[in-house]
Amino acid sequence: MSENENEHDEHHHTMFGFDAYNMNFAILMIFTLIEVVAVALTFSMKGTVSMSTVVWILVIVGIVKGYGIAAVFMHLKGDPDSRVLTATALFPVFFIIIMVLFIGLTSPGATDSLPSWCRPGFYN
Amino acid sequence: MSYGDTDYHDDHHGWHTPHNSWAPILMAFGASFFLLGFTKVFTQTWEGDAWSYAIHSGEIWGLIAGLAIFFAGVVVFWRQDWGHDGSYEPKSVGTPFRSIDVRKVAVWMFLMSEMMVFSSLFSTYIRYRTGIPNCETLYNSAGGLAEGTACWLPASYFIAEGGWHQETAHAALGFMPDTLIPGAINTFALIVSSYTIVLALKTAKNKSLSDAERNRKVGVYLLCTLMLATLFLMFKMIEWFIGFEVGSGDDALFYSPSLFADGFTIHASDYEYTVCHAWEGHHCVDKDVTTIDVRMAASTFYVTTGTHGLHVFGGMVALVYMVIKAFSGGYTPANAVSIEYFGLYWHFVDLVWVLVFPAFYLY
Repeated sequence: MSENENEHDEHHHTMFGFDAYNMNFAILMIFTLIEVVAVALTFSMKGTVSMSTVVWILVIVGIVKGYGIAAVFMHLKGDPDSRVLTATALFPVFFIIIMVLFIGLTSPGATDSLPSWCRPGFYN
Repeated sequence: MSYGDTDYHDDHHGWHTPHNSWAPILMAFGASFFLLGFTKVFTQTWEGDAWSYAIHSGEIWGLIAGLAIFFAGVVVFWRQDWGHDGSYEPKSVGTPFRSIDVRKVAVWMFLMSEMMVFSSLFSTYIRYRTGIPNCETLYNSAGGLAEGTACWLPASYFIAEGGWHQETAHAALGFMPDTLIPGAINTFALIVSSYTIVLALKTAKNKSLSDAERNRKVGVYLLCTLMLATLFLMFKMIEWFIGFEVGSGDDALFYSPSLFADGFTIHASDYEYTVCHAWEGHHCVDKDVTTIDVRMAASTFYVTTGTHGLHVFGGMVALVYMVIKAFSGGYTPANAVSIEYFGLYWHFVDLVWVLVFPAFYLY
């Protein structure tokens, strides 16, 4: 039984012909460098690099890094159980969207109209 | 305990112990108790014109009891895990997780709840960030700020921009402020630690290595992960409370005051917002100082990054155990998945940092 258990672990994953872990690590390091340099540029070249450009760079870098970590390091790509576990990992996204829509983007005065039992100081 | 023996998991009936444990329930109960105790010990009260904060040391029993129950659960779990050699790993039987290790499914379920924790913190951040006017924008559009204005001064103002004293905060590197250094190093430290943990997993699965060599290598990789996590929290403490200065005074090569020293605290209802109009060397000779309220930005920053830091600390506690187990020969190709399951948590913590770092430190 224990022979079969680790069967899928024997597969050797590669990425562009290199070991997947090494390659992913290199990509993560490069993109982190891009991230820090992008922000450093807004500091050193104040006024010449627009904030929205930097935000876009941060978003793209975040997506690439997030995908790299989840797909390669967390084995959400290429393993027999990857599909069902990806679906599991994405399941809370539904609730997250609801939360962001209904809490994240509520009107600015929303917290002021909360009932007293929901505000600090009520239980003291 | 030696892992060379063949009968260390024998319970006198010839059965191997499956990796089923009730200890996580105990841990969850302890954690709930601890968090409840937290609300009893630390309180804040609105006094009509200001908040007062109090620490009720008489209520500390809840915190201690919660921690005690939590660590009792941890000890039970470690005792059960110590002898697990990979035999009889329980498998899920129902749809959709059929034939996947129960432990793996459990870790993913746990990560789902963790996603909700961090999502609630992020939605809070989005809510306040979009709802509260930015201090710098207000200052620039109105040419000044009214005393006591409640506005959003992001942590990035201190970290990515070097605060109002930025003229003294980029002495050596030039292209980036010194205050960004701890956060930048930490980002790399977490990425490297994610790599060392997968190397530990890969090595533990490697059947071609001798037992002694494998044990040593897995132990070293796990130890590296632990050291990087320690580095992460150390730099976090420097960034929050300690600050750093290389050289001294006006000739300092690096100068990075802590957020605490800069007045960016959860109590900062009277933060002195400073805009310097003229510098003489590292000294401001003409400045505007306005007292403003930046508690919302500070609380959101400390709670979110603190929750993340707490997760790093939790990982460190587990890593200490795993390092000891690895050097004792506890990880073999048959039970290497234990490292993978811890790794899932560790990568998740890294993944959260991938979001926290740009949202709180850079933007």
